[in-house]
Amino acid sequence: MKVKNGILKGELKVKNGKLIKCTLEIKDGRIKSIKFTGDFFMHPEEKIEELEERLRDIEFDKEKLAKIIFKFFEEVEIIGASREDFVEVIIKAR
Amino acid sequence: MKFRLIIDGYRNAYENMAIDEALLFYGKPTIRFYKWRPSAISIGYFQSICEEVNLEECKKQGVDVVRRITGGGAVYHDEHGEITYSFVCPKNMLPEKILDSYKLICSSIAYGLHFLGLEAKHAGINDIVVNNKKISGSAQTRRHENVLQHGTVLLKVDVRKMFSLLKVGEEKISDKAIKNIEERVTSIEKEIGKVKEEEVIEAIKKGFEEGMGIEFHEEGLTKEEIKLAEKLREKYESKEWNFKR
Repeated sequence: MKVKNGILKGELKVKNGKLIKCTLEIKDGRIKSIKFTGDFFMHPEEKIEELEERLRDIEFDKEKLAKIIFKFFEEVEIIGASREDFVEVIIKAR
Repeated sequence: MKFRLIIDGYRNAYENMAIDEALLFYGKPTIRFYKWRPSAISIGYFQSICEEVNLEECKKQGVDVVRRITGGGAVYHDEHGEITYSFVCPKNMLPEKILDSYKLICSSIAYGLHFLGLEAKHAGINDIVVNNKKISGSAQTRRHENVLQHGTVLLKVDVRKMFSLLKVGEEKISDKAIKNIEERVTSIEKEIGKVKEEEVIEAIKKGFEEGMGIEFHEEGLTKEEIKLAEKLREKYESKEWNFKR
């Protein structure tokens, strides 16, 4: 969903889980910036910034995004949502 | 298991969050009970302050806003409406799985609430419910091989005030929506009438004693914890931290 100035927003309420929101900018088909917010739990917490950094400059392609996200969650624990939900919320933003 | 018991009374939001982080850093087995003055909103680590909080209204009502070190949702901590606890210990004193340790701590608190006559039980990931209505929420983090879980137990609840401070869609502030929330959230006062705060603390304490086999001794913060908390308070007061997402 487009908000303004090319900023896209997606929201996903996980069934029996938490809420994930995603704000992103796309330039030339690639992610220029991305931010996840919400009431989920991630351990260790500060790793979220690393995920956002890893997704920068990546082509907006579900499989490519999923590959990076799945790899990230090999070493980071998420509670109240799944790794698939993080892919889904990005796709919903568009 | 031997735990320190800190019955800490009122502090402001920044001090409260700084002390919890200092306790987590040193990891001395501790349960701290505390309150918030002025009333405050705490938001989860991953939440956007602008998306969640009506900052203008908070300023008008003299309500502080602070970002927690823990994930989870935005909470309104009313000066007279809740008791907050923090539970700290080394990781190896709790189940390895985070969900299992939520279960153990929340079930012990729920068990404690039974001594007041409340049919409380752990529900979902991090809630305690009475008659299927939420009475307590908690959030956990793990750092430096230690665990911190902090959470609230509602003494009384004012949904209208809570909604005026949090950003919820217009449709959610309708009378019908408020009624809906009132049907999903409860408090000790709503369930069994006014109970003295000391009695609530005593009951929860007993829940931990019998539920987890904890032995308490009352003791204050250590010099090192106080020193670290003073330093951390600056972080919690800073725009950089509170507005980082």
